[in-house]
Amino acid sequence: MQAVTLKGHKEGFEIILDSRVNFAEITSELEKLLKELRMNNANQKQTAFDIATGMRLLTAEEKKEIEKIVSRFEGFSIHRITADVIRTDVALDLMNQRSTHRVGRVVRNGQVVTIKGDVLFFGSVHQGGILQATGNIYVLGEVQGIVHAGYEDNTRAVIVGDLNTAQQVRIGDVVTIVADRPADEPLDKVVYVSDLHNLESTDVHTLMTLRPKLFVKAGGF
Amino acid sequence: MGKAIVITSGKGGVGKTTTTANLGTALALLGKKVCLVDLDIGLRNLDVILGLDNRIIYNIVDVAEGRARLQQALIKDKRFNDKLFLIAAAQNTDKSSLRPDQAKAIVDQLKEEFDYVLLDCPAGIEQGFMNAVAGADEAIVVTNPEIASVRDADRVVGLLEQQDLDRAPMLVINRIRRHMVNDGQMMDVDEVTRQLSIQLIGIIFDDDQVISSSNEGQPIVLDENNIAGKGYRNIARRLEGETVPLLNIKVEENQGFFSKMFSWFKRS
Repeated sequence: MQAVTLKGHKEGFEIILDSRVNFAEITSELEKLLKELRMNNANQKQTAFDIATGMRLLTAEEKKEIEKIVSRFEGFSIHRITADVIRTDVALDLMNQRSTHRVGRVVRNGQVVTIKGDVLFFGSVHQGGILQATGNIYVLGEVQGIVHAGYEDNTRAVIVGDLNTAQQVRIGDVVTIVADRPADEPLDKVVYVSDLHNLESTDVHTLMTLRPKLFVKAGGF
Repeated sequence: MGKAIVITSGKGGVGKTTTTANLGTALALLGKKVCLVDLDIGLRNLDVILGLDNRIIYNIVDVAEGRARLQQALIKDKRFNDKLFLIAAAQNTDKSSLRPDQAKAIVDQLKEEFDYVLLDCPAGIEQGFMNAVAGADEAIVVTNPEIASVRDADRVVGLLEQQDLDRAPMLVINRIRRHMVNDGQMMDVDEVTRQLSIQLIGIIFDDDQVISSSNEGQPIVLDENNIAGKGYRNIARRLEGETVPLLNIKVEENQGFFSKMFSWFKRS
């Protein structure tokens, strides 16, 4: 069994670290491999390696150790370190970010409900309550408090629904106080941040052209 | 094993202590064994409203710190032969002298002996609130039909919902001025209940006598003809599982007189 394998690609060199071998063995094997490489062509130009760890996830210290070994050889560097696996909490985070969550609760005065991803909201936000989401918010319930889409800095997020009874509508870092709006200009169904960084509203039909990405299914499923 | 109910509101001055005293008295009149616990440490006044202020020897902090046994701190209200008791708050210290786990231990002990343990919560949502909620199984939120009070009540309901209570908080709307509601100047019962979206368990009409009788250490429920007292008695019956219709808000002054006469008629 080979702990460390070198492969050549069109893009350059890839070093595969076998995830079944313990890490101490990998470091010594890696050093050996790099030494051999250096001996074979002593005055080679700069080489950047892709390092693939397969089913192993390197810790920060382990990464540092690998980097240290490679840096001992002049001209050798690491292009990137990749793995076939990710941590479950990172995976969960990713999943949350990309899904639409149904929320039916009451957000009362003083409560702050923060959600990762998009929200389909059926509940009610009382005055003084805040509903915030990292993604878009679609309001079917009642809002008398504050809704904040694109929390904290995503100004591409939108809020869809009746927001004229709200106290404030926020997207990213842009805030509008609903009561301060002119009475003859109620908020339309879709609220978004324009290219001029203003909070504006428009009707539902425009959403398709405004944020076409919302309707695109990415990937091949 | 009885149950512990915390009476809270968030905002001060809406009638928590009055509600605790009257509801406790009403339950005692129904034959239940009731213990009232004043948790407004530093600013006690439940004892005054009950007219028991000159009988206090030990208070709840004495019990928590082991200076007195629980039985020693129980103050009996002699008017209700062994049905109504009070545990007073300490006066010369503050809210931080009691921890939630100490409060809970005392309440748990009381629940073994009493049918109802009513916890009079201080205003605010700090330590005193946490102490009061720690041992509670259920909660009654008192509010007045005005925006500031309702807003604070909403905040408190949110906090109560995070606690592990046996049932959702119940609502008492206190100090309803009927003529103002009928004129449309005051929020009506439906509006308040809808805003808070919790179960309404009773409404209390504003009445001058509530203050004058409190000053004499006589809870208003002891006055059988008083409309506010009737509201409290109705809440007690609802807590006992009876179905009692809400008092009619539309009653005009002179009709109030008739219903008074009717209640005399019923008594005889």
